[in-house]
Amino acid sequence: MTKSFGTRAGYSRRHALQLMAAGGTVGLLGPQLLGKPAFAQTPPPAPTGRVVVGLSQEPTVFNPLMPHLEVDDGVDFSIFDALFRINPEGVIIPNLAVEVPSQDNGGISEDGLQWRIKVRDDVRWHDGTPFTAEDVKYTLELIVNPDFRAWRTTGHALVHDITVVSPTEITWRMEVAFAPYLSFLTETFIVPKHVLETMADLNENAFNQAPIGTGAFKWGKRVAGDHVELVANLDYFGEGPYIEQLIFKYIPDNTVLYTQFRSGDIDLVGQAYITPDNYAEAATLADRVVTLVPKASVETIYLNMERPQFKELAVREAIYLAIDREAIIDALNYGVPTVTETFMPKQSFYFNPELPKHEFNLQRAAQVLDEAGWLPGADGIRAKDGVRLAFANSTTAGAHLREQAQQFIQQTLAEIGIEMTIANLPSAVMFGDFWALSQFDTAMSGITYLIGADPDVTNRFHTKAIAAQGGRGSNNAQYSNPEVDALLEEGSRTFDPETRRAIYFKVQEIVRRDLPFLPLFANTSVFGHKAGLQGFVSNSNTRTESWHAAGWYWA
Amino acid sequence: MPAFLLSRFLQSAVLLVIVSIIGFTVLNLMPGGPLAQYGLDPGMTMDDMERLKDQLGLNRPIWVQYFDWAWRLVQGDWGTSFRDGTPVLSVIGRHLFATLLLMGSSTVIAIAVGTWIGIRGATHRYSLFDYVATIGAMVALSIPTFWFGLVGIYVFSLKLGWLPAGNMYTIGDGSVLNYLHHLIMPSVVLALVHIAIWSRYMRTATLDVISQEFVKTARAKGVTERRVLMKHVVGNALLPMITLAGVQLPSILTGALVTETVFTWPGMGRLFLDSLGYSDYPVVMGLLMFSAILTIAGNLIADIVVALVDPRIRLA
Amino acid sequence: MTTLTATQAPVRWWQSRVMRRFVGHRLALLGLVMISALALICIIGPYLLPYDSLYIDLRARFAPPMTGQHYLGTDPLGRDIAARLFMAGRISLLVGFTAMVLATLVGTLVGVIAGYRGGWISAVLMRTVDGFLSYPSIFLLLALSAALKPSPMMITVIIAITGWMEVARIVEAEVRSLKEREFVLAGRMLGLSRMHIMFREILPNVTGPIIVAATLTVARAILLEAYVSFLGFGIQPPLPSWGNMLNGAQQYLATAPWLAIIPGIAITIAVSSFNFIGDGLRDALDVRNDTL
Repeated sequence: MTKSFGTRAGYSRRHALQLMAAGGTVGLLGPQLLGKPAFAQTPPPAPTGRVVVGLSQEPTVFNPLMPHLEVDDGVDFSIFDALFRINPEGVIIPNLAVEVPSQDNGGISEDGLQWRIKVRDDVRWHDGTPFTAEDVKYTLELIVNPDFRAWRTTGHALVHDITVVSPTEITWRMEVAFAPYLSFLTETFIVPKHVLETMADLNENAFNQAPIGTGAFKWGKRVAGDHVELVANLDYFGEGPYIEQLIFKYIPDNTVLYTQFRSGDIDLVGQAYITPDNYAEAATLADRVVTLVPKASVETIYLNMERPQFKELAVREAIYLAIDREAIIDALNYGVPTVTETFMPKQSFYFNPELPKHEFNLQRAAQVLDEAGWLPGADGIRAKDGVRLAFANSTTAGAHLREQAQQFIQQTLAEIGIEMTIANLPSAVMFGDFWALSQFDTAMSGITYLIGADPDVTNRFHTKAIAAQGGRGSNNAQYSNPEVDALLEEGSRTFDPETRRAIYFKVQEIVRRDLPFLPLFANTSVFGHKAGLQGFVSNSNTRTESWHAAGWYWA
Repeated sequence: MPAFLLSRFLQSAVLLVIVSIIGFTVLNLMPGGPLAQYGLDPGMTMDDMERLKDQLGLNRPIWVQYFDWAWRLVQGDWGTSFRDGTPVLSVIGRHLFATLLLMGSSTVIAIAVGTWIGIRGATHRYSLFDYVATIGAMVALSIPTFWFGLVGIYVFSLKLGWLPAGNMYTIGDGSVLNYLHHLIMPSVVLALVHIAIWSRYMRTATLDVISQEFVKTARAKGVTERRVLMKHVVGNALLPMITLAGVQLPSILTGALVTETVFTWPGMGRLFLDSLGYSDYPVVMGLLMFSAILTIAGNLIADIVVALVDPRIRLA
Repeated sequence: MTTLTATQAPVRWWQSRVMRRFVGHRLALLGLVMISALALICIIGPYLLPYDSLYIDLRARFAPPMTGQHYLGTDPLGRDIAARLFMAGRISLLVGFTAMVLATLVGTLVGVIAGYRGGWISAVLMRTVDGFLSYPSIFLLLALSAALKPSPMMITVIIAITGWMEVARIVEAEVRSLKEREFVLAGRMLGLSRMHIMFREILPNVTGPIIVAATLTVARAILLEAYVSFLGFGIQPPLPSWGNMLNGAQQYLATAPWLAIIPGIAITIAVSSFNFIGDGLRDALDVRNDTL
């Protein structure tokens, strides 16, 4: 049993940046540098105890390469390893790979097309078979196999000529230089070739129900509709695990989820977390640690830019001015989320803090509309050239806080002659064609713009990403600005963090000015766990709270 | 009898076809589809979505999808869940226990309490108890089940802290006692409506028996009232009890849906709602067919039992 | 289908009619009073209150009942619950009532035609009825309200779609038993049109059961609206309905229980009233079919 206990140094953003720029240096230090603060307690010598994570959705997909949701990530991160991981500071660090490739260390060629990755030689699958570069090759090829129901293929589709040089080294060629790929690989878990090869069906097989990985935890069992149980992998090559059993418990109701956290039935509140209205009470609970953790998603009202009402910037500005964001944040959301002016998560290195601040000013809003020629008609609703300033707003039916915000906004807008009707849909309907093909007037949702922690937002803002106009992405606001297009194209070709930073600062500036969406607030989750649970670190660069269960232990 | 059975079977088969067609159509009318759950995923492109639709066969015309599904079903293949790729029958099977446990215990409660109320109401006719029971039954039928559950949670979980607010058992404690503790509230809530129906029925049945000559005779002969009642009432009530049970078979799905939602019970009702939420067509269709088969079988069994036991009823 | 009626016969529990009439009538009267009072409050109540049911006042959120002029407290947006409850009552009662009218019309039409015509027409119609009945109605409700835009009218129609089958069954059985009676045969001999016989001769004789079924359908429709709106698929905010007032109440159960308790009581009162009335009518009209 080899375990590496490294130094647990705290990290400043500056330090992290140096490392990121330096690339490979991080690699030498190994996977223990997960940004963990130093604790008084030390982990137990052998895994002991059990941690129960409560989730409001049920994890059901255990093949990490197949389409899955956030809740499935917690299981995937515990059972599998990827070539790299991303730590809470947004630094990419080696996982199965020995070092993070960069143009500086030669892992990525100067033109960004040739990639060379060295992988560890001390890793074994849960069934004892050694892990090799062949598994990496198999994984990357499986993702683009037309018979396999793969999850995301962006980036992977650009990979060609995958060659296993030796059991510990693999190379490939990219069709075009694509900087975000490194970040995508942190969410691409490597699956065992020797197991999947023997399966008759790639999509429906025994592996999906009892996955075999290299991760800190092994598959235990699943009680459908109730929980998934993982057990410690004693032969894990990295740090941990320190707990014997890791349980993901499905509790479909947020109130019950919180009640069970309060009563101690669950040790950690996962996905969906503690609802904002319970935050104040939760913070006073004895033996519980309750923290506010910024999320990558931004609560936004999308405006469908192809609707005649929204073509004019003045209208978008006026609506933004007429939204009382502070009241929505402080009263409706109990002060849990924070203000933001951009799509970029605040904790990101690429976050632009210099954007113009939103102001709630109804008079000013009315004035902007008056000046632009939108004048109240006989029914009190403003109109211009026969277009009434009336629109529907849609959100997921049953999302109570959003529904409250909606009704609140509706009332404020009515005061300045803007008619907003509410047309909510079940999420299974809302995020189908209605969303993808921009069939909404306006839509309210928490939107994640980044994939992993990479700042590339081509998928959200590039003209070619407007699905409603034949594009291939999720530019659901139908936002089109040639300047932004050009910047985005440049950004995805550029590997140097500082250069990219300048590019994405500019993108944020333009988008803030154009207002294709109205940012309401930066989402914040209320995390909660028992005080005795040590080693828990949140990581906004992943979609799950259980991204590093290997480091958890009981005091 | 065989002719009757044959015709009923044929009718049932036609019924199943109608049910499946309506279900399939309504389900596919629902915009969105199984991939909508990934609609917010920034990494899934339109190409990914289209590819997955193709792979799942969702781009074919509806009627082709229907015939494909129906043909497999006829061959015993219920399809696999879009969500987790496991066979539909095993998905249903995994949730069956929780629902059966809940339904079973609530039925026991309903029959026990309902019988007691019914018989007592009949033997103490026009008493305060009888009035309260009569009105109570009507009110019980009028209370929204989910609301009753919420009030229960408020009182017994949040205020008094006596009973858990949800779930079937505590992780790490699979003892019978723990199950029972979790079972109390949902099964009582679920039993409420059935207690109402059953107590009314038992009351009538008891009154019928009491008014009959042979009971008066028996009583005159000195047999205790209790024994007479038990013997005759229970005897007479057995048949309708079977019928009622038969007719209630399908409520395994419907009856428990509301209760399972409120109490986060991991049964088939929750599975149904979850699957509908994820547009997991194969599972939803599987549950519908399962429920339809139970309904039809329930009615059929009830009919046959009644026909066998009661010769007065001519079989059509 | 004799078997069908036979199946259900034992479930009846109201055979000692004298007693039932006695209690039933009193209860029916009580039901009538309760529902009239409720309807009246819902109609005039909003004019008596100083608050608008839609007015949002975030400073007054979560006021418990009997604070100031908020007799029933306020909701998470600071709206007056009393005002909302009355407005919601108008909508819920209207939806319930309209759904009943629609369901009864469709059910009666199908029932009369199937019962009178018999043969394959009846077979097709009644198997369709069976088909609809063997669904969990909640499935049809959820799927349909997801498929169609949930306006109040649409919710009404959807509830009606899931509620016409019982009426159809009852009417079909009654018509079938009536169609061989002398007055119908006489009508046929006189050369009266089929339509005339069905709707002018037979239908008036079936009104009793239809009225009873209709009353109970209102009760059921109100419950269904409540449930669908509770799940967020029904009447959409800001328009209040008893069901959507409960939507979200579960979240605030610990801190603001009145949000859940008050609308639930209103629903229970309304539904009980209709059940009481239906029960009384059943006795009074001497209807023996069960619709529970």
